[in-house]
Amino acid sequence: MKKFWQLLFFKVKCRLKSEASTSYLNYGWWVVEPILHMAAFYFVFAVLMNGGTENFVVFLLCGLIPWLWFNKSVSNATASIRGGYSIMMQTRVPISLFPAEIVTQDLVKQLLVFVLLLLFLLAYGTTPNIHWLALIPLILVQLALVLAVSFLVAMLEPFLPDLRYLVQTGLMLMMFGSGIFYTYDLILPEHRGMFFLNPMANLIKNYREVLMYQHWPDWIALANIFLFSIVVLGLCVLFLQKQRTTYVRLVLET
Amino acid sequence: MQATAISVQNLGISYRKRLSLRRSEPHVVLSDVSFDLLKGETLGIIGRNGAGKSTLLRILAGILKPNRGKIAWQVQTVSLLSLNLGLDPNLSGVDNAILSALLLGFDRRQAEQSLPEIIEFSELGKAAYEPVRTYSSGMNARLGFSIAIYLQPDVLLIDEILGVGDVEFQKKSSQALQKKIYSDQTVVLVSHNATQVESLCDRVVWIEDGKAMAVGVTGEVLEQYEKCILGKR
Repeated sequence: MKKFWQLLFFKVKCRLKSEASTSYLNYGWWVVEPILHMAAFYFVFAVLMNGGTENFVVFLLCGLIPWLWFNKSVSNATASIRGGYSIMMQTRVPISLFPAEIVTQDLVKQLLVFVLLLLFLLAYGTTPNIHWLALIPLILVQLALVLAVSFLVAMLEPFLPDLRYLVQTGLMLMMFGSGIFYTYDLILPEHRGMFFLNPMANLIKNYREVLMYQHWPDWIALANIFLFSIVVLGLCVLFLQKQRTTYVRLVLET
Repeated sequence: MQATAISVQNLGISYRKRLSLRRSEPHVVLSDVSFDLLKGETLGIIGRNGAGKSTLLRILAGILKPNRGKIAWQVQTVSLLSLNLGLDPNLSGVDNAILSALLLGFDRRQAEQSLPEIIEFSELGKAAYEPVRTYSSGMNARLGFSIAIYLQPDVLLIDEILGVGDVEFQKKSSQALQKKIYSDQTVVLVSHNATQVESLCDRVVWIEDGKAMAVGVTGEVLEQYEKCILGKR
């Protein structure tokens, strides 16, 4: 167990280092890239359109930033086991390493993006308040969800290589169903139950409650998402552990 | 009588070759291989290209599971050493060395302890802190070999690792390997080079057409192997 964590953290450190070394700005991109993203949205929605609703840029970013995290990690993790081919053929590493390193790598960069989001909120005139503390459990719950979904798709992909296309389509559908560009008030009341079954819609609503409206999040919903994610994640890890040689074969044969 | 480290009985492995969506045919790599690896010995595996030698090493390392037959390990750690395990061209030699050690199942402390020896043996000097992409192929091979030789598993599986780098390093590396072999290290060595096998191995397994044609003392098996190869020419 200890060895796995040491391996995971060193591998992630190496990946980040390696990735940074291939550009001139190096680690600077961790900050510049999200700032460019935010600037683009600011320009379109606050300058060009002059804000349909008040605070629309803030509203949008509070939904978009958590969504982009989920989207990025799940797409990156989909073919991660296949990507570990050369390592898998040479040593007996736990298969879980491959999705885990992708999610951890994205997490490191994402934490910085959340800091930038808070800075943006401050610059926009929001006063920091006690409710911002709820951001910590919110991020933890989302991490559990990201891990669970990433492991699930990564686990299935070697059996069904065509899953890659489905994942992309699925993510697109989920994006429209997560209320990033609109508030849940627009959903007909009788369909809201279904809307919030989408864990990302639920999380995004809670991010806004915390960051924009100075409310505490819906703790029960968060607990449900967390528990559900941990169970799925645990089952995936167990399966990957039991079926290690099956995966080596699958990756070798396709 | 020496104790057995790994015993292999009637081992067979085949892969599924996908022909179309629903059709596939089996591709038999090994069909019937049996032998015992004894503790402390150096066992050579010879055979032509594509005979299934590397696949056999992967089974011994526990990476692949055979379709048929039995394999029993009486040891804790078995490591398959190869020259470029996870070498990332953008990282320094030092980072790559630690990463390889961790991937092979050693912990961080063990990896860092053997680091000075690895760097010294590889003769990379300051270059060890430069990215591997700036290395020549000889430097690359030297790094790979040094990583492999300084980690100490119970059983060492070596796949065509010799003959790397310039002449001088070749000499140094076979000496290092010899030293390792004469110490109580259990080694399985895959090689094309009959001279090398003759000088390093106690016993040899000869694999042909997926079967173990002969298992025994190095001189005898090599003689049969060479006769067969010459006969077919």
